[in-house]
Amino acid sequence: MSPSSWKEALADRIAGDLAEEIDIFETQIHLRKQGKIEEKLFAETRLRRGAYGQRYDNGQRNDGSKTQRLRYPDVPTKGPDTVWDAPGMMRIKIPFGGLNCEQMEVLADLAEEYSDEILHITTRQDIQLHYVHIDDTPDLMRRLAAVGITTREACGNSVRNITACPLSGICHTELFDVTPYAQATMRFLLGHEDCQDFGRKFKIAFSGCRHEACGLANMHDMGAVAAVRQVDGVQQRGFELYVGGGLGAVPHHAQLYSDFIPEEELLPTAQAIARVFARLGEKRNRNRARIKFLIAKIGIEEFRRLVEEERNILPPDPRWTAYLSDLSAYDEEPLKEAQPLNGAPQETDFVEWKRTNVYPQRQSGYSAATVALPLGDLTSRQMRQLASICGQYVKDTVRTTVEQNIVLRWVSDADLPQLYAALKVAGLGQPGAGTIVDITSCPGTDTCKLGIASSRGLAAELRKRLAIKSTQLDAAVEGLRIKISGCFNSCGQHHAADIGFYGNSRKINGITVPHFQVVLGGQWRENAGSFGLAMGAVPSKNIPDVVDRLAQRFIEERQKEESFQVYIQRIGKRDIKAMLDDLTLVPTFEENSWYYQDWGDTRAYTIDDLGKGECAGEVVSATVMEIASAEREVFEAQVALEDGQIDRATQSAYRAIVRSARALVREQYYDVPDNADAVVGEFRTRFFESELFSLQFANYFFTAHQEGTVGLDATAAHRRIEEAQLFIEGAYTCYDKIAAQPA
Amino acid sequence: MEKLQRINVKLYLSDADSLSSDEAFRVFNGWIAESGDEVLIDVADYSHVGRGPETILIGHEANYILDSDGGEAGLLYARKQDQSGDVQDRLRGALAAALRACRRLETEPELANKVSFRGGDIKVTANDRQLAPNTEEGERDLRAALEPVLDELFAGAQYAVERDVSNRERLNLRVRAKGDFSAEILLANLAS
Repeated sequence: MSPSSWKEALADRIAGDLAEEIDIFETQIHLRKQGKIEEKLFAETRLRRGAYGQRYDNGQRNDGSKTQRLRYPDVPTKGPDTVWDAPGMMRIKIPFGGLNCEQMEVLADLAEEYSDEILHITTRQDIQLHYVHIDDTPDLMRRLAAVGITTREACGNSVRNITACPLSGICHTELFDVTPYAQATMRFLLGHEDCQDFGRKFKIAFSGCRHEACGLANMHDMGAVAAVRQVDGVQQRGFELYVGGGLGAVPHHAQLYSDFIPEEELLPTAQAIARVFARLGEKRNRNRARIKFLIAKIGIEEFRRLVEEERNILPPDPRWTAYLSDLSAYDEEPLKEAQPLNGAPQETDFVEWKRTNVYPQRQSGYSAATVALPLGDLTSRQMRQLASICGQYVKDTVRTTVEQNIVLRWVSDADLPQLYAALKVAGLGQPGAGTIVDITSCPGTDTCKLGIASSRGLAAELRKRLAIKSTQLDAAVEGLRIKISGCFNSCGQHHAADIGFYGNSRKINGITVPHFQVVLGGQWRENAGSFGLAMGAVPSKNIPDVVDRLAQRFIEERQKEESFQVYIQRIGKRDIKAMLDDLTLVPTFEENSWYYQDWGDTRAYTIDDLGKGECAGEVVSATVMEIASAEREVFEAQVALEDGQIDRATQSAYRAIVRSARALVREQYYDVPDNADAVVGEFRTRFFESELFSLQFANYFFTAHQEGTVGLDATAAHRRIEEAQLFIEGAYTCYDKIAAQPA
Repeated sequence: MEKLQRINVKLYLSDADSLSSDEAFRVFNGWIAESGDEVLIDVADYSHVGRGPETILIGHEANYILDSDGGEAGLLYARKQDQSGDVQDRLRGALAAALRACRRLETEPELANKVSFRGGDIKVTANDRQLAPNTEEGERDLRAALEPVLDELFAGAQYAVERDVSNRERLNLRVRAKGDFSAEILLANLAS
């Protein structure tokens, strides 16, 4: 008799402890339904299992004119603000992006049976399925576990997916293949007891090279970059280790922890870092709980001392080095023999695809082919077709990428035309991988609770427009990268793009208009070597014009082989602001209501209930004027920083914060004295303690007030300016809230 | 098969171009605001992927999908939550729900009577590889449950049933009836 459940059917294929964990989770779901597990606890439990709430799941939805309560059948929730029956997102960890054909087949099956037949590749090499009902998650996990995939610690305050360069092992410039180390670190830290008490998530990345984008080590909590040294004439492998990097609202560049950690010390060092983070990291204020804040607070030297102290008292663990004895076990086997591409004339579309999507491997006769996925999405049928194609050409040498694509490694060069033809049949033969057309985007308002503007809608629109002219694009422009986040939290990695955008909003005559902040000059290469700076908010519908204008000016004004980053630095913010000034204007609703909808959404745009607040009308309030003035001061701070006047930049940023805070205080206490101490005190009482204002952004104010405005270095000044910009965003949001309250 | 709950039903548009993904997005959003007994939650736009689900109205009980899988545009009804009754009742329930959605699209004022469905061409899929594997035995069981419902649906008219036997596909039956059937007539047949 055939088994009637997946649990029964897969019992022999799932490791005992993993099977037990999933059984426990299934029980926890039942207990939560019976009210026997506290909501907050269960929320963290399900998050650590990869089950994530989606945007609508507080049980409400705005239809463009009003918010209505969705009539879910059951009352209980599955965690704070998340309704039991609301289907949610399932994040599936794919360590270093590595996939095999069997896993791809199973992922396709799961998308069909439990999700919406779409698989989404994330900016951290995970795969996400959306609209999954929580009751289906245990079977989904079992089916994944049976092919060696886990969702454990994909979300929550844990070690997230460990990423690595998708070209590891086949790249021309790497020192060595980091894949075994990424794999070993993932296995070692997954469920490790020293990683269960973090205040926030912890992200790790591996790079084989220092100068390429590679694993983007500089923007991770822990980034390991391959390094070698000679010891007594013998080459020793190790890593340059970076800590405390991160994007988020205010990006932090990682700091060098050590220029050489020997390979046998990689895992114990990671464990010691985890211990220090768990012990000393912030727990109460989530907005200051990433390890970057701990390191910024105590300094890298003290952090290093603490980690070394911790390392010295760690009980030895054989897993630290066990994997090193057989690194070759991780070597990949090509399916086919290396054969050169014959010299026969090829179709134009193949030539174009090969130009942008094929990377000749270090191993002669083989190439890596990138499957460019629009917005990181593919259907379950396409995933199944891709698994079949892989089985024919490369077998199990597949990687997801942080640019939301899939790379097939070890393609025999002779097979490239047939591979391309097969991909085309599956609708997966788009050219333009790694070019300006290949836009990265987080989910934004489509499914993310935090999204402010439609990053996917904008990405789809830009992709559509750029694809039309892709063959005519100037080479200088073609190589630019565009990355879009739906809010300031940076999941679209906009800080590291040549041209980045993050969603925000502005009220125009009382009606909310979707905007994107323009962030220019970030560096993708050099492991995300530097971050861009905000240039101003532009209405969402004008963003395609921003891209066109920047591209055109870059082509016209570029000096020799100047990079976009250098070009942006050379022309400076004044010029850029002047270039974009007219695009920041929004016509009235009556003149052009199109501006009041977001890309990819036919409903009226809203971040709350659409409607005119008390300030509606032609008169702009003094508060809004004052916040706008503060915004101007931030711009001046940016210019000062650019001119090397660090103290002046810091002072301008701080003044901008105080000015916008005072504007808000004056809404309630008109005669507040015009001095910073008084403003801090009143702001703390009226807006921070009452939680009217974003607590995260309010803390920027208190920290800046405490630290003063003299003696900061350029990096800290840069950060202060970013914080000032975000404080102003918070001031706008807060003012909108106050204005919407009944008199 | 007796426990099968996840049932998909797809009906095909008479004119594949008569319903764009943008139009479906607007219409589906309207349905959320006017939902009756069902809990309709969200609309997802996947028109950029090309072939497959283009616009999805996500519901608690079921999803409604403008789907172009296989290059054939149509409305796919995907039942997710349990229905009462035996498997035959559930198949009848899924067919009726799919037909009601087709009828709603056909009469949607915004679409100005331009949308219609080929009622005599229906694909039924058992969306559960564990309970309903795509095997000859699975086909036999599904046909046994489905054919009495099809007899009602087509009011005794002849029809042919075909299975895509690929082992990668879910258990599926493509039903082609002789004669013209509108969604309205089929709904009436099921109700009588």
